[in-house]
Amino acid sequence: MVAQQDALLAQMRRGTLQYCVLSLLADEERYGFDLVRGLAVSDGMVTSEGTIYPLLSRLRRDGLVESTWQESPAGPPRRYYRLTEAGRAALEGFKLEWRRFRDAVDHFVERTD
Amino acid sequence: MASTADKLVADYLKRLNGELRGLSRVRRRELVDEISEHIAEARADLESENEAAIRTLLDRLGEPEEIAAEATERFGVVPRKAGWKEVGALIMLPIGGVLLPVLGWFIGIVLLWISDAWSTRDKLVGTLLFPGGLLLPLALGVMAEGSSGCSTPVGTECPPDSGGTGAWQVALVVMLLLVPLVTTVYLARRLGRTSAATI
Repeated sequence: MVAQQDALLAQMRRGTLQYCVLSLLADEERYGFDLVRGLAVSDGMVTSEGTIYPLLSRLRRDGLVESTWQESPAGPPRRYYRLTEAGRAALEGFKLEWRRFRDAVDHFVERTD
Repeated sequence: MASTADKLVADYLKRLNGELRGLSRVRRRELVDEISEHIAEARADLESENEAAIRTLLDRLGEPEEIAAEATERFGVVPRKAGWKEVGALIMLPIGGVLLPVLGWFIGIVLLWISDAWSTRDKLVGTLLFPGGLLLPLALGVMAEGSSGCSTPVGTECPPDSGGTGAWQVALVVMLLLVPLVTTVYLARRLGRTSAATI
């Protein structure tokens, strides 16, 4: 049962992670390390930080985020990510669906309480 | 201390680069750059840079295999079919030197090294086990024929009075013929393995 739950959690995390990334970028642009640490703060969202980078790369290729190089106060320039219009629309669409889904599941699981 | 840390990081990035071989060159470089940037930022954040801190940092990043698996899943797979570079290398390494003395073999070496399909180890095997491909054994074969005066086909014995050198040279030539051929087969199979591993 525990193994099954772990697998389920991994699947849920996997399906929603990209929207968590989009949400983090909704109000401000961030560079990779900052973004990864932002996700790591929320317990359990990221198990291996490095796996965020293939996701970011994919989001960029799909046109949901874009990146620009900016000088950093210390050290070499950083690649900053921000939402594109398409990314914002995808995030809004997900929010609607997510709430509906969450409410539907709650409707069943909360009955037992 | 700094050197141990640098070595750990360099090893990690090297492993990552190797694991990402299934991706396109551009995608791979982008990922390795971003992750090395991440490591640099994370190191700058450390209070004191000791080996344990670096190891913890790399553990948080995850195993290169894990990152590669994620990348392969996110991007699908670039099918690594044998392109002109690979086919060219497999042809020019063994017989390029015969078709176009010496230069043909060099063309094979260049193709071998600019191809993405082989690991550095495979490329070294291809380079060092083949100097000249089949050119050297053929040249030696001609010399052996000439010097021993023994014109029996390979594998049969020369008359004893021609001395042991003839047989010895024949054996050497056979070995020199086999090594490039076996190496070519090895490289071709490694090519097959790469595609099997990434699909």
